[in-house]
Amino acid sequence: MVDLALSASHLTKVYGGQRGETRVNALNDVSLDLERGTTFGIVGESGCGKSTLARLLVGLEAPTSGELRIDGETIVTSERSASRQLARKIQLVFQDPFSSLDPRMTVEKALLEVLKVHALHADTRAERVAELLSMVGLTPRFAARYPHELSGGQAQRVAIARALAIEPEILVLDEPTSALDVSVRAEIINLLVRIQDELKLTYLFISHDLSMVRHISEDIAVMYLGKVVEKGRYDQVFVTPLHPYTQALEDAIPLPDPEHERSRQSAGVSMHVQVEQVAQGCPYAPRCALVQQRCRDAAPVLSEKSDGHLVSCFVAMDATP
Amino acid sequence: MSDALLEIRDLHIGIARRHGDDEIVRGVNISVAPGEKLGIVGESGSGKTLTMLAVLRLLASPPLSVLRGEILLDGEDLAHVDDKRLREVRGGEIAMVYQDPMSSLNPLVRVGRQIEETLRSHGAASESAQARTREVLRQVGLADPERVRLSYPHQLSGGMIQRVMIAMALATSPRVLIADEPTTALDVTIQRQILELVTSLQATTGMAVLWVTHDLGVVASLVDNVAVMYAGRVVEKATTSQLFRRPTHPYTKALLQSLPGLGSAHRSPLHQIGGTPPDPTRLGAGCPFRVRCPYAEEKCAQAEPELIDRGEGSLAACWKDPSQW
Repeated sequence: MVDLALSASHLTKVYGGQRGETRVNALNDVSLDLERGTTFGIVGESGCGKSTLARLLVGLEAPTSGELRIDGETIVTSERSASRQLARKIQLVFQDPFSSLDPRMTVEKALLEVLKVHALHADTRAERVAELLSMVGLTPRFAARYPHELSGGQAQRVAIARALAIEPEILVLDEPTSALDVSVRAEIINLLVRIQDELKLTYLFISHDLSMVRHISEDIAVMYLGKVVEKGRYDQVFVTPLHPYTQALEDAIPLPDPEHERSRQSAGVSMHVQVEQVAQGCPYAPRCALVQQRCRDAAPVLSEKSDGHLVSCFVAMDATP
Repeated sequence: MSDALLEIRDLHIGIARRHGDDEIVRGVNISVAPGEKLGIVGESGSGKTLTMLAVLRLLASPPLSVLRGEILLDGEDLAHVDDKRLREVRGGEIAMVYQDPMSSLNPLVRVGRQIEETLRSHGAASESAQARTREVLRQVGLADPERVRLSYPHQLSGGMIQRVMIAMALATSPRVLIADEPTTALDVTIQRQILELVTSLQATTGMAVLWVTHDLGVVASLVDNVAVMYAGRVVEKATTSQLFRRPTHPYTKALLQSLPGLGSAHRSPLHQIGGTPPDPTRLGAGCPFRVRCPYAEEKCAQAEPELIDRGEGSLAACWKDPSQW
């Protein structure tokens, strides 16, 4: 039996739809299982629903339908008390550390506040703050600093320390390195890997940076307009991508190697930005190079192509491996 | 170089402090020829954005000011032109795409009208401005240009807004396009399409492009030459292929090593540069990278090197030849 830290089934989130507003299916029937102690990577462009997914998982918003289980326990996210109950188990780290830290609070105060709210370490809070700082590789002198006295990398370390303060089991990392300078990205990634191994944490790692997702994740889901279009182990998704969208994403990763870069053929896929969901059929059909009539008539469902490797595409399912 | 279209010569930018000016851009020399694509790579605080803003005299002054240096567009020093000429240059001969697209558009005006305004202020009649707006919105790959033209900024996604900004910059057929991290917010497939679009436009118009970024991957796929900036100076200049094949400044080498490559092992530690970028106002003597540099020696603490020719078109502000690393 696989030990699941989190299991989401058929999560759907619909915005609008009242008084003639346009309905937006931000998240459409998304299911995923996070195995304890591993990293699940979510890849997709802006607007694919990956941040909505993060907000549902940590209880910032309630799903329109679907079920969320953490440690085998069903979480009723529409209940008010759910948010604190969830917070103890699952924490969110945002993209921009500065906008998630109060500019008027020192690092120490920010960490103490979390401990107070959750009534943790009542007698040893100062020690706990020092311990948290050292866990994220900051010396005790950082306790007295304000956010504006921190570099981007240091601020993200503080944000991670704050998330760790209440000893969660799961961290949802929403683009944790995207706002950082290139030279500190590697540090934060290395830090996240180290903390995960030390504390046996489970990660949901959301990013549009495919090379980072591939580097850190055991399992990966590729999202497109609110749906998971491909899911599998990292090597399956990156070595033998099945969905035409995953293939296009991989063809488009700018490689730090101009020789390789120039020898690449452009994928020949229509890259027109698409924001509206199609009324019927496959959501990717308008951009897909391999589109067929059946793709416009009905939407494919996510199905297993080979051992644990799932894809939502008629053409990929028919292809012989 | 005499064939330079835009040349930045010995540019120094200062920030006013109580005790006088602190220099934060310290003698930058950059030039681009017609049709050239130059990448300017650097982290936040390296001075890359300030250098680009200084080209169009857009520095927030005070506290920022150009202490000395020249900005030459076809030999004409933009530091000394009158306001009328400056308005012609801005958005006309030199167009700029900024990092944060949402804050560069007026939220109360339809995006099509904002592009038309730019065109009209550069002398286009209103009918031709409208036709040109449609044309450029189509060129940047917006699926429904007519709908976008009539939309307000909040009705468009971040990716669409960024395309609108690029369309606006290209509308006046500028001779120089300055793009400051314009694709960081975009999905890779769309990034690539925009990079290809700019390249194809360049081939027909001879536009020169300055592409400011911190992403070396983008540099590899787009530009011919690269200038790497660190602590307010250019520390390496090279052709793109040389930069990746044989970096000649330790900082460039460290940046390249910190990226997870296709060959790097899953979850293995990535190469860290260590330390943090220096505060450009508190540099002291010597090479500003020395505290993070694995090859630093005594000499590096005493004097800051100028750009030294390291062969095959590479120049590096480092005392050590890469063969001695």
